[in-house]
Amino acid sequence: MLRFLIRRTLGAAVILLIISALVFVLFYAAPRDPARIACGKVCTPETLALVKKNLGIDHPLPVQYWDWLKGLFVGRDYTAFGHCDAPCLGYSFQNREPVLNTILDRFPATISLALGSSAVFLIFGIGTGMLAAVKQGKTLDKVASSASLIASSMQIYVVGVFATYLFVDQLHWLDRANYTPFTDNPGAWAKGLLVPWLVLSLIFTANYTRMTRSQMVESLSEDYVRTARAKGLSRRTVFFRFAWRGAMGPIVTIFGLDLGTLLGGAIITEQTFSIQGLGRLSVKAVSTNDLPMLLGVVLVAAAAIVVFNIIVDAVYALIDPRVRLA
Amino acid sequence: MSLSRRNFVIATSVAAAGSTLLSACSSGNAGGGSGSTPSDGATSYTGAKVTVGTKEDSTGPAPEIAGAKKGGTIYGLAPDDFSHLDPQRIYYAYNSTVALLLHRCLTGYKIDSTGHQKLVGDLATDTGTASADNKTWTFTLKEGLKWEDGTELTVEDVRHGIERSWASFITEGANYVQSALTGKGGKWRDAYEGPYKGKHLSQIVTDKAKRTITFKLAEAKPDFNFTLAMHSYAAVSPKLDTKEKYDKKPAACGPYKIKAHTTDKSMVLTRNKNWDPATDSIRNAYPDGFEFDFGIETLDSTDRLIADQGKDQYAVSIYKGVPAERIQKVLTDPELKKRSFNGLLTGIYYYAINTKRVTDLKVRQALNHAWPLQQIRQIYGGPSAGDFATSILSPDVIGYKKYDAYGKLKTPQGDPAAAKKLLKEAGKEGMKIVYAYPQDPTYDKTKVVIENALKAAGFTPVIKPVDSTSYYDQIQQVDNSYDVMWFGWSPDWPTAYTVVQPLFDGGAIGNGMNNISQTDVSWINDGIKKNAVIADQAKAGEAWQALDERIMKEVAPIIPETFSRRYYVYGSKVGGAQFDPNFSATLLYKTFVKA
Repeated sequence: MLRFLIRRTLGAAVILLIISALVFVLFYAAPRDPARIACGKVCTPETLALVKKNLGIDHPLPVQYWDWLKGLFVGRDYTAFGHCDAPCLGYSFQNREPVLNTILDRFPATISLALGSSAVFLIFGIGTGMLAAVKQGKTLDKVASSASLIASSMQIYVVGVFATYLFVDQLHWLDRANYTPFTDNPGAWAKGLLVPWLVLSLIFTANYTRMTRSQMVESLSEDYVRTARAKGLSRRTVFFRFAWRGAMGPIVTIFGLDLGTLLGGAIITEQTFSIQGLGRLSVKAVSTNDLPMLLGVVLVAAAAIVVFNIIVDAVYALIDPRVRLA
Repeated sequence: MSLSRRNFVIATSVAAAGSTLLSACSSGNAGGGSGSTPSDGATSYTGAKVTVGTKEDSTGPAPEIAGAKKGGTIYGLAPDDFSHLDPQRIYYAYNSTVALLLHRCLTGYKIDSTGHQKLVGDLATDTGTASADNKTWTFTLKEGLKWEDGTELTVEDVRHGIERSWASFITEGANYVQSALTGKGGKWRDAYEGPYKGKHLSQIVTDKAKRTITFKLAEAKPDFNFTLAMHSYAAVSPKLDTKEKYDKKPAACGPYKIKAHTTDKSMVLTRNKNWDPATDSIRNAYPDGFEFDFGIETLDSTDRLIADQGKDQYAVSIYKGVPAERIQKVLTDPELKKRSFNGLLTGIYYYAINTKRVTDLKVRQALNHAWPLQQIRQIYGGPSAGDFATSILSPDVIGYKKYDAYGKLKTPQGDPAAAKKLLKEAGKEGMKIVYAYPQDPTYDKTKVVIENALKAAGFTPVIKPVDSTSYYDQIQQVDNSYDVMWFGWSPDWPTAYTVVQPLFDGGAIGNGMNNISQTDVSWINDGIKKNAVIADQAKAGEAWQALDERIMKEVAPIIPETFSRRYYVYGSKVGGAQFDPNFSATLLYKTFVKA
């Protein structure tokens, strides 16, 4: 297990390094100049040169990348902003604040959104999937299958606006989406995020329902399940002790990837409900040519996916005794 | 001219954040609430009056608003935080909406309930005194001016505010004053190293005892007192100046100061106890404070204001108008319409005709006749999207007068017969016209109606979509291969010099410059020189208007399109909400909490 973790962690570091270099190159390949944003409406060449120096982008690309990498470990000094402590992801061109501070400020909202909606879609998705599998071919199965098909073809920006209109503005059942830190007030945290959780999970629930159903159906027809039943174990025991373990493997894999993606920021959901998370931060970074911020968010998002992939592989071994870590 | 007035191009279609940042220009002109009933959404714009106020107009306090009382909190919603709070780094309009609450300049605009405005002294006792040659300007400071920490605001603070714009970390502000003082045009930075090494600009003379400050300009500027109203020239105390950190927490001399601020999330303003209303003829400042929430998408904030629940009853949209999707709802619901106001954006959208390529006046006039203004405005959203433009000057510029040289108000859908007749007279039937526009969902639609109108009028249109990020760079090339180009212009203050000179002076032709039509006519160039030194701005306005009309009739270098309109809704407990004609936003300092 330890060897597995060390090997995968090193691999992850290499992946992140490659991603950061790619973002750097791609950013400068685009025909836009980040210095223009701080150059005002009257942008003379002299002022533009001054802005480039202030932002630390007056050097050739490889030097800039090296400066950025160095900043991660030993910090960095800017002429226009002062010192940035290690690990320094740079200063945002737009906010003129250290990127890391902003990311740490926005991450809790994204984590809350991801974990909350995961809980909802796991419970509902796997629950309905299992029920559908048990009641295979019956009315309940048909209703669950078609409902999930409809739900999975919905779009967040439609459902979100509609749900807010109906449940918040008209019926006054739920609170308008807003983010209160959990540590400030857990009640307000949950109430403010309930609508986004439900809406975001709607799309995912459908996938999990369909997957759980098909996996369970398959696993219920496995030899070891038939054997267990033949040996006289009750239907309930077989279902909950043997069959679901076989079915959960692929679901854990998908969930790991989904959660990793969600932790990188749910762009559309955050946008629809005006929640200040990593997703909107990344959109803003792109639209304002804010390279340090973009790099920071991309790295956090990539790290989330890589880390959850490692976790998934480890958990896989725990759930399914047939898998060995090598 | 040595002075590069590349001040500003109205950009529309950039990225989500970009469009707000750019489409609204900074200090400048009126846009006007709609006549005397600012709450009535459908009334047509009656034309703003911009005048120069007297010493009495400059003396505080500001006139009371009927029914208003002190107290309470007004909440402000916006998609993006203000990008700058350091006044010298402020140029874009949306930053000026908060700057009006925090900062003060020598001059400012006193706005009445109908949107008409007067240039008055803000820190100064009046709008300044110019020498006969308009090269020396003297202002006297009011008494009782203080910073938020209680220290006195002096003429040296006004001078420091201008001098620190030379600092290397300040790159975003306007540079008219720097150029005018040094006479070095775009090279003004070379003339002075900034105030941080102890040296002062020799062109500014202060007398602390008499509270006077004198500017010695290298060139005649009869409208210099308008320029000084830009927030880029607000006062900053050398003692309170934290240099690059000032952008995060500037010291206030206006009615409010910053109590708390989390970038891109929230800002809390509280009363500045050291601001004396008796020194301020512009600002009312009824609420005890403001609380701003950032990161609220415009559709979301509009829906919240429409729903009008809880704290949103006390809320306004700071600088974002009602999006197209909700305009009809606001206009057709009487209750909502009462909670709305609207006004025209500063400046004008138009199509520049490249006079170097389309050399025949009759052809340019035919293009004016042919242009389908009505169909274009329909795509923008119909009559609520703005008024048809028929002049170069917009209604918010001093001297503006409505005239209609090509019958566009009678036949806004285009007059192909009139166009055909002119084309025939010129012997140019079937002439090829290359039309360039920035690629974007809206202009992809307008190009279709333009193409059809050109065909109907007997032209052979060639449509050239250009990538929107490099559009301006491309059309600003002198040797471009376009005949007609979509364009927009917004002046930095409401005198016509800021419109006519950059757009039609032969000296403003060049790569990266804004005389896109490449108009170089001797009587226009002479007219600009002559009008630029008329001291009385009302008289100057008349002269500019005459020049505007003559240019359109005798040269026809552009096809005027629209003066765009913006709508705002606000919560039911907000009083005094009205359109800020300068910054096309909610005029925060006039709002109050209703009892």
